[in-house]
Amino acid sequence: MPSDTSLIWLILSLNLAALPHFSYQPLWVALLFLSMMSWRSLAIWQHWPLPGRQHRTLSLVQWVVAAGAGLLMLDSYGNFIGRDAGTALLIVMVGLKVVEIRNHRDYYISCFLGYFLVVTNFLYSQSIPIAALMLVIIILMTSCLISLNDIKQVLSKMAQLKLASKMLLQAIPLMLILFVLFPRIAGPLWGLPQDAHTAQTGISNSMSLGKISELIQSDAVAFRVKFDQTMPAGHELYWRGPVLWNTDGTTWRELTLPSHSEPRPPIISTTGQPSIYTVTLEPHNEHWLFALDVPTVFPTSFGASLAYGGELLSRKPIKQRTQYQLSSNTRFSMNPDTDHYLNEALILPKGFHPRTRALAEEWRQKAKSPEDIIDMALNHFNQQPFYYTLTPPALTGDTIDGFLFESGKGFCEHYAASFTVLMRAAGIPTRVVTGYQGGEINPVDGYLVVRQRDAHAWTEVWLQDRGWVRIDPTAAVSQDRIELGMSELLPNALRAPLFFSQSEQLIDIWQQLRNNWDAVNNAWNRSILAYGPELQKSFLSKLGMINPNWQSMAITLFAAFSLILLITSAVLLYPRREPDPVVATYQQFCQRFVKLGLVARYAHEGPIDFARRMTHALPHYQTDIGHITAQYISLRYDQSVSSIAEFKHSVKHFKPNK
Amino acid sequence: MTSPNTANILSAVNDIIVGKHQTSRLALTCLLAQGHLLIEDLPGVGKTTLAHTLAKVLGLDFHRLQFTSDMLPADILGVSIFDRDAQKFHFHPGPIFSQLVLADEVNRATPRTQSALLEAMEERQITIEGQTHPLPTPFFVIATQNPSHQIGTFPLPESQLDRFLMRLAMGYPDAESERQLLSGTSRQLLLQQLNAIIDPAALITLQHEVSQVHTSPALVDYVQKILAFSRESGLYVHGLSPRAGLGLIRAAQAWAFIEGRQQTLPEDIQAVLPAVVSHRLQARDGDAQHDFSASLIAQVPIP
Repeated sequence: MPSDTSLIWLILSLNLAALPHFSYQPLWVALLFLSMMSWRSLAIWQHWPLPGRQHRTLSLVQWVVAAGAGLLMLDSYGNFIGRDAGTALLIVMVGLKVVEIRNHRDYYISCFLGYFLVVTNFLYSQSIPIAALMLVIIILMTSCLISLNDIKQVLSKMAQLKLASKMLLQAIPLMLILFVLFPRIAGPLWGLPQDAHTAQTGISNSMSLGKISELIQSDAVAFRVKFDQTMPAGHELYWRGPVLWNTDGTTWRELTLPSHSEPRPPIISTTGQPSIYTVTLEPHNEHWLFALDVPTVFPTSFGASLAYGGELLSRKPIKQRTQYQLSSNTRFSMNPDTDHYLNEALILPKGFHPRTRALAEEWRQKAKSPEDIIDMALNHFNQQPFYYTLTPPALTGDTIDGFLFESGKGFCEHYAASFTVLMRAAGIPTRVVTGYQGGEINPVDGYLVVRQRDAHAWTEVWLQDRGWVRIDPTAAVSQDRIELGMSELLPNALRAPLFFSQSEQLIDIWQQLRNNWDAVNNAWNRSILAYGPELQKSFLSKLGMINPNWQSMAITLFAAFSLILLITSAVLLYPRREPDPVVATYQQFCQRFVKLGLVARYAHEGPIDFARRMTHALPHYQTDIGHITAQYISLRYDQSVSSIAEFKHSVKHFKPNK
Repeated sequence: MTSPNTANILSAVNDIIVGKHQTSRLALTCLLAQGHLLIEDLPGVGKTTLAHTLAKVLGLDFHRLQFTSDMLPADILGVSIFDRDAQKFHFHPGPIFSQLVLADEVNRATPRTQSALLEAMEERQITIEGQTHPLPTPFFVIATQNPSHQIGTFPLPESQLDRFLMRLAMGYPDAESERQLLSGTSRQLLLQQLNAIIDPAALITLQHEVSQVHTSPALVDYVQKILAFSRESGLYVHGLSPRAGLGLIRAAQAWAFIEGRQQTLPEDIQAVLPAVVSHRLQARDGDAQHDFSASLIAQVPIP
């Protein structure tokens, strides 16, 4: 029977390992797990009965709980397969197992289930804090195993934890070898379960007024960009995402193509120098790959292609952090290759926005050319009382009319949507482009970080001889948003949390901290998490492996393991003498004099001779030298009566100087 | 630092043997370690005086044996003579039955006579005609030997030299001591006036106390390293024997005791090492004059 202390520590470690799961598991999983843990704890402290031979009814209770958990599981997930259901099953089983720990074997099983729990946490998050927490839990689990085997209970908990940490440190070479060499094969076998990628925030494929302004609350990183050479100016940083055409009066959506027609990319011509850059995109569970307007060269490895709106799409949804290299030109002209798309960019739902349509009609009669109408609209935004605000009032009824003629307070999506309605009403093909604008350079590692709060919406109008031309009506209202970037406009409360938002200096400190932390995360992402099949191949080639396929990796892995085992056993089997602590401390003492430039103790110099020589050199330390020498002699050459601790203490506090 | 009794003994000895502090201290060490002493030097430098002084100071009964080439073992050990009245042999003990025997110029005697002495020294008893006669306790032999290149000598073989715990050389006195010696009272007269400082029983107690001086494993380690070095370095014809090692430790214990300590230190080993090993080691390169014990000390690190 394991000791109570070991059990308590095991329960504590298991609780810690299960804790992160409770945020996404159904409540009953947490309740069941915690009640089982409490039962076991009360059995230790209050001598509550446990299921077993003496208490057959309690065994029955246990069975009922298990059956009930199974039913709840079917109710919550429909089966036992998948990431969430599998984790729930594991948590429930750990809870039930802990109640019935009766011998060492049960304890072992619970410990190993605990290690499994640690692994499942990485199915949900691979961030640095989670990794750190899991490391702590692994040390705790290992110390539990140590305490189980420490039958005479000679080790304190601190010593157990120390030993566990030491053992984990010793495992680092094996870990590194496994990390580098274990063959990483692309494919479902090694991938995460299907339901592992859900609920990521980000730009969606539809826009309604008030939706993007929710995003600015989020500090989360959308993607990071590293430019090879110079970065384009801030007002040119338009990261194109989904292009929206269809509207029902309130919500804007992507173009739904007739099923028989193939989407055709626009015809793009560019001038000037292209910018080459690498994007590391955080998973968003959608198809689009954000690119600087407009991408000219893009990778074909994951089936990236230009859609009809000029946005870059991947064949599969982005479920993991993805890296791709692009080349973009900020000076370009874009033309649709059929008129079909142009017609789609003129459609307005019947019966909506009567006042807006009237205004547009008025402008169309006054204007000589489409450019005039655009200027009128921008001037209208610029000169009438329109305000750029992050907290627009809620609009009821016809939202576009309400915004243009009543509230006048809006966010980028208000301006983009109402501008598009105006233009379409005036007969100019117009579409809404969503994506991100701007981004912040992290001075720590030089990466441009684009966050969810940089989400933006702008418009493109089609002009006969110029093709699609980008018009950002938000710029007509708030030049700062485009020139300075989003974070300059944010109120303090949104730029930094709680305490840090109280003054400019604190915000600066917060941003520095955030930049550093972001750089660390970026490095972690690029070097640890991104180490997949391709990175592994290129890394191993750099190390000199000629043809890094999975066979050669397996052979190298095996060889490296054998080598490590060989070295370890050689070290373990080689006879060696433990250094005597008394001698080691005395050598420290002798070393103190060397620092003063005195001749070190000769190998054949006895303690008294040495003390005499040192006293001669440093007469005012005679007492100390004599005292320490006497302690050493009594410890090393006499029937020891002095304590080593005292000797160590004397030597530690002996700090001679000339 | 010296223990009171031994300090008194030494100062008394040094009153007579002037300028030879180290030698007289080593000689006392040898006696306290229950070892026999070989003094090797030219005639007239005070070998006999030293032996005589020690005997006097320690209150031992003293007998001097002048070895000659025609000496027989019986002249040392004694003879059994038939007693007519008692109708049996009666043993007449020889001069060896003394607590301190000075075997003067031992290398003048034949090997046969030498070996009779050395056997007695080793066994601390003699056996004549089936009868065993124990020698008195304490029992010391101080043998003196002239340098072997003098004419008419039988130098002691190496195997016999091993029986002596120490070999000392007196050397000429320094100028100051020699002047004192020449101008002062006759040594013989001083010797006669000398009183014993302790008695043989006290000496035996001292010897017992010496054997109780603590020898730690660390020190044994050091001695073993010295022995191993003497065998493995290739500098010497033969390495040191285990008996030499035992002698080193015993002598070091006595030295530490004289220093007033209750534990043996590497310094004690180093202090007695030249006297203990010099007659047991022979340098391979044949350079007899070279003081190889110093290099032995320098080359073995203290563990």
